[in-house]
Amino acid sequence: MPDNRSASTSDARWAVVFGGPSPEHEISILTGLQAERVLTKAGQQVLPLYWAPTGGWFLVPNGAEAKDFLEGPPSAARPVEVRLGADPGFFVKGRLRSERLDISAALSCLHGGLGEGGGYAGLMALLGIPTTGGSLYASALGMDKLAFGGVLAAAGIPTLPRVALEPDLELPFDGPYIVKPRFGGSSIGIEIVDDLETARVVARTSAHLRAGAVVEPYRADLVDLNISFRTGGDGVQVSDLEKPLRKPDGAVYSYDEKYLAGGPGEAGLSSAPRELPAQVPDEVAALAAELAERVAVLTGVTGVARLDFLYDESSGELVVNEVNAVPGALALYLWAPKVGAAEVLLDALREARDAPPVSAPSGFGSGAALRAAGGIAGKLVGLDGPRL
Amino acid sequence: MIKDLAVLVAVLALTVVSGLRWLRVSQREHYLPGRAGRIARLWYARSGQDAMGELVAVALAVLALVPFDTAWLAAIVGAGIGALVPTGLSVRGRTSKLAWTGRLRRLAAGWIVLVLVLGALLAWLVGPPATALVAVSVPLTVDAAAWFMGLVEKRLSAPFVAKARKRLARVRPSVVAITGSYGKTSTKGYVAHLLARSRAVVASPASFNNRLGLSRAVNDGLAEGTEVFVAEMGTYGPGEIRELCELFPPDVAAITTIGEAHLERMGSTEVILAAKSEITERAKAVVLPVDEPGLAALAERCRADGKRVVTCSVTGLDADVVVDLAAGTATLAAPDRTDGPVTLELGEGVAHGVNLAVALGIALALDVEPEALRGRLTGLPRAAHRAEVQRTAEGLTVIDDTYNANPVGASAALTEAAGLVGEGGRLVLVTPGMVELGPVQVERNAALGRQAAEVGAHVVVVGRTNRSALVAGITAGGGEYEVVERRDQAVAVATRVAGAGGVILYENDLPDHYP
Repeated sequence: MPDNRSASTSDARWAVVFGGPSPEHEISILTGLQAERVLTKAGQQVLPLYWAPTGGWFLVPNGAEAKDFLEGPPSAARPVEVRLGADPGFFVKGRLRSERLDISAALSCLHGGLGEGGGYAGLMALLGIPTTGGSLYASALGMDKLAFGGVLAAAGIPTLPRVALEPDLELPFDGPYIVKPRFGGSSIGIEIVDDLETARVVARTSAHLRAGAVVEPYRADLVDLNISFRTGGDGVQVSDLEKPLRKPDGAVYSYDEKYLAGGPGEAGLSSAPRELPAQVPDEVAALAAELAERVAVLTGVTGVARLDFLYDESSGELVVNEVNAVPGALALYLWAPKVGAAEVLLDALREARDAPPVSAPSGFGSGAALRAAGGIAGKLVGLDGPRL
Repeated sequence: MIKDLAVLVAVLALTVVSGLRWLRVSQREHYLPGRAGRIARLWYARSGQDAMGELVAVALAVLALVPFDTAWLAAIVGAGIGALVPTGLSVRGRTSKLAWTGRLRRLAAGWIVLVLVLGALLAWLVGPPATALVAVSVPLTVDAAAWFMGLVEKRLSAPFVAKARKRLARVRPSVVAITGSYGKTSTKGYVAHLLARSRAVVASPASFNNRLGLSRAVNDGLAEGTEVFVAEMGTYGPGEIRELCELFPPDVAAITTIGEAHLERMGSTEVILAAKSEITERAKAVVLPVDEPGLAALAERCRADGKRVVTCSVTGLDADVVVDLAAGTATLAAPDRTDGPVTLELGEGVAHGVNLAVALGIALALDVEPEALRGRLTGLPRAAHRAEVQRTAEGLTVIDDTYNANPVGASAALTEAAGLVGEGGRLVLVTPGMVELGPVQVERNAALGRQAAEVGAHVVVVGRTNRSALVAGITAGGGEYEVVERRDQAVAVATRVAGAGGVILYENDLPDHYP
């Protein structure tokens, strides 16, 4: 690999994008601020871009703290305009005219919602700015639990049976059931119910399940195992396997346990209790690593992602649960034993910057189809509907 | 000529020093006109020394109007004394420093212009020493400037408010408006928590409860797809809530309670009731606790007007929502009372049942199914600094009730604190008393002092604002007390007296611009 990377990185300007319209907006702010610090400490030039809940974009000062965002964008934030069209990009108001932000590549720290689900990826593709977090298609696939489950099943990857909650259909497996929002991250909106009727009631009354719900059999005996994979650097690499430790009576590893537990100043995913590396038989760890590499290829997710499994400790059965294209804290705590945070982020950014553009060229062909078409009037013949 | 210039420069400089002090007071009093003068009168009433000083300063300034040889000296000395008093009110501030926000800069600019114009007039009509009058009347000029700049600010903020109204009209959430003398913030927090699972909710942040604050909450926080917007509305006088409802029309209106908050500015509880009732005018559904006769009557009037009324009770009256804190249950009537009532169990940590009852009533008014609320009654958010109990390493229990300023809450906190005292410990009440209670301020503070004495508390009275009232109550109840000038001095005293197993209750906290 030609090592002119250090030279080209020194005048690279990286954007770190966080916030976004999603229930995980606050967590995204934390991931973003953490990533900005890591990159700045590594001597990089960073442009922190905050996407406010009401849609505005802001360039915030480096070194911002979480509490600066309590009442909206920090007071020193500069509004940024997003322009699509022939001359697209991010523009910040200068003294006299708007200045285009020069961005080599963007690091997506957007969790959930349109940020992780493909909207942001599509926006950046139209703006012509390379970004981590996967293409629009990979992000959408990762966000749609039903589609992802279908892809896994078609590829023969072990997974729990997962079906959509359809109004008239019976479920092919018995309760108790776990009902999850079809499009959603983290553990928000997950419900555990005993029977189909309750599942339907819950899906009707919950705001999180209204856009679509999937149902799986609930197995209280299964434990969570997570692994991170990254595609920057040298091919697909996998981290150690972790086992998050949930409270003894906890049913599901919840949003509160993940992000809010711990004393003030200590709360957060990085300090949630865990076993890293997980104490499981070697074959299980090896299988997890192999499945992570397969999922990376099947989904097309790039950058730094996390794959969540469910594991039956008594039988050794390992199944894939879901994939997160933009995991909390960008899974840096999972890579820490092997690779430093700055290297993980820079590899992801360089991969994005150097990757060929995803969208197919959308220019004109030679105009052959247009010339052969003739007048539009000819195309209206016979379209009026049935003769009475 | 030189003397004239020296007088003008000296008086201007001293006026500015005094001005910084009173501008800070105005900022801390939310730029309301008349407050600086009110605080000034409070200081002079509580400190004979400062009152004397101000009297001398004014006398000298008036003397300087007469054209005699040493009028210039009288002017400078008068202005100097005027800049010094009140001595306890610092220019830069201890607990809350002067923050040069945009609004303060505009107020300062307006005030400087006013002072220069007045000073110029006096200097031209009478003579340079006459400008000392401006130096000794700073609270008055600051109030006048605050009044005028208030009008300017309203014009300046009009586009911001218009933007918020457009945004609200575009996103079109159901708007829930909550008002009440106490409990607005807690109730708003409960509503957001109760609805979190079944609706996309946005609540206005704490203390953003006026025209500018709500506009900001909408502009910065009302995301696309929000289904319910919970807005806290505060008021200092009649007509304000009506104006807020015109800008942000509520679909559901709720009143938590009618108490004595801001009684001083409102005048009487009848006026407070009328001002808060304005919130029901445009709403199609109202949620009211019917334990208070005034609100029960309002509920009847709303029913007669054809509005949907959801009633709440914590004393067991017949109502749509009945909360029984002792039994730990909440009973909700089904809509149209077709099905039977649903009883839900409450979790821990509910301080005032009426706030939760109103929150549940709001959920009913929004047609949330009662069953959907069952799992939301645990983990209810607790407002910070309201009866927050902490235990220190030395075994001391500290109750932080510093954000509470109402007599009912203070009495309840005192009773609860008395129950927590352990072996060999004492209950210590640290309080500056309560303010803005107008005609009943002395009475309520005396009652608090008496209750503290009756439960055997040792009282540490902070500051001078309510000292005589509190002391009168304490001695009437046969209790013991100590007096300190500032809160930080109180902490050491309280810790010593409470001892291991003791309880310290910090009841209300006054900013340092109070005597």
